Amino acid sequence: MPMEYATIHSIFTVILFVAFVAFVIWAYSKKRKADFDNAANLVFDDEQKAQQKTKQESDHE
Amino acid sequence: MSQTNSLNVDYNYSVVRLFALTTVFWGIIGMAVGVLIAAQLYWPALNFETPWLTYSRLRPLHTNAVIFAFGTSALFATSYYIVQRTCQVRLFAEKLAMFTFWGWQAVIVAAVITLPMGLTSSKEYAELEWPIDILITLVWVSYAIVFFGTLVKRKTSHIYVANWFLGGFILTVAALHIVNSMAVPVSAFKSYSIYAGAVDAMVQWWYGHNAVGFLLTAGFLGMMYYFVPKQAGRPVYSYRLSIVHFWALIALYIWAGPHHLHYTALPDWTQSLGMVMSVVLFVPSWGGMINGIMTLSGAWHKLKTDPILRFLIVSLSFYGMSTFEGPMMAIKSVNALSHYTDWTIGHVHSGALGWVAMISIGAIYHLIPVLYNQGRMYSISLINTHFWLHTIGVVLYIVAMWISGITQGMMWRAVNTDGTLTYSFVQSLEASMPFYLMRFIGGVFVVAGMLLMAYNVYKTVRAKDESLQPVPAAA
Repeated sequence: MPMEYATIHSIFTVILFVAFVAFVIWAYSKKRKADFDNAANLVFDDEQKAQQKTKQESDHE
Repeated sequence: MSQTNSLNVDYNYSVVRLFALTTVFWGIIGMAVGVLIAAQLYWPALNFETPWLTYSRLRPLHTNAVIFAFGTSALFATSYYIVQRTCQVRLFAEKLAMFTFWGWQAVIVAAVITLPMGLTSSKEYAELEWPIDILITLVWVSYAIVFFGTLVKRKTSHIYVANWFLGGFILTVAALHIVNSMAVPVSAFKSYSIYAGAVDAMVQWWYGHNAVGFLLTAGFLGMMYYFVPKQAGRPVYSYRLSIVHFWALIALYIWAGPHHLHYTALPDWTQSLGMVMSVVLFVPSWGGMINGIMTLSGAWHKLKTDPILRFLIVSLSFYGMSTFEGPMMAIKSVNALSHYTDWTIGHVHSGALGWVAMISIGAIYHLIPVLYNQGRMYSISLINTHFWLHTIGVVLYIVAMWISGITQGMMWRAVNTDGTLTYSFVQSLEASMPFYLMRFIGGVFVVAGMLLMAYNVYKTVRAKDESLQPVPAAA
């Protein structure tokens, strides 16, 4: 018997929810912190003149 | 990549300059047409008995001019600027980029001609007829090639979050425009939608609300994630939050369209789904707003001296206000009161004039001196005056429409004990009249501010290279 639409949609919803939680855990993992701080400072790396800016931490911690 | 070295990238500013200047020009035109039609609602004689000056034809001209001429020019200018600066490369396919400028101006001029003539597909925010729709598609695909081409040849390893929002906006708008514009032409200037009935309505509002979600929100959030940190001199409050913000926002927005069709022929379950998704959308919206505003934490004093930063931050406050109001209005029982009233118009303008216009104006004030080799705008105090004119104008506008809208909703639903309507439609219109005058006055404030901006931009552009020195930062 083919699976009902409701069943497929329920499974899909659960998969999406788990994926979202996994994604948030990835984004907030300690390991990613340094990379993201660098990324946040990309906006200051675009000056054409030599301009040494002191790096600032994201999250303002 | 993380080292700050002197860059020898020769950015392409010519196309950015053109779009930045047309942003100001079309802003004045679009908002002035808005003031004219606001005046027509108070003084109906202002249509001069001329068909192409009637409210019904000028209203789509106003919405097209502010969204697609003013707002989208600002997005073109800032996206071409941001993608070059955060990828540290010159623009990809520069001739194609120039084509997007002239092509887009041709679209706008075509709208300015055809809409007053009464040529319309009658789909809100997608009124332009099929030949113009084809030109839009060509320009938009070129835009995507230039933008993503530049991302591909980037010198940085990471793609900065602003580019994610801008890329999401460009891709989604392409899909929305192509799907909603599917039509059968019957002559050079007349076509009929290939969809019928409730399906047509659903496709239209899937397009309509995602024009809000992706063009007027995601695109301008891309602008926010570059210009707020840049103007504040601090990195964004939480980069991790910005990533979660992006995926949550784009995953949810796409479902919110049905709230435009509450209590219509659309199936009930679709209406309820749209309502729930719209309410949940509050969470990522406020996540983004908080991320933007908190970027200033520890540097709040800069708001006192920097009117450009004030434009950017107050735009985020209006964004927060509209994204609270929107989910609330999407709830069916609230919608039963608010729908078809001026409350909706007020809501749209707190988003359009408060969020979209203020963030664009702030970004343009930041951009113009950089693009024309100056240390600052010609006059900082004129920017300050513009800020107050604009803020007062928006507040007058929104408050007028709230009062008028809720009055209309209450009067339309009032029934006598025998079940007959308490008020006629004309009685509710009479009740709205003072607020139409108030809205008109608010609009005049906004346009006056834009004229000051044009003067300030003109003086900055014409000033001798590097003759305007930046004001030393006050401690």
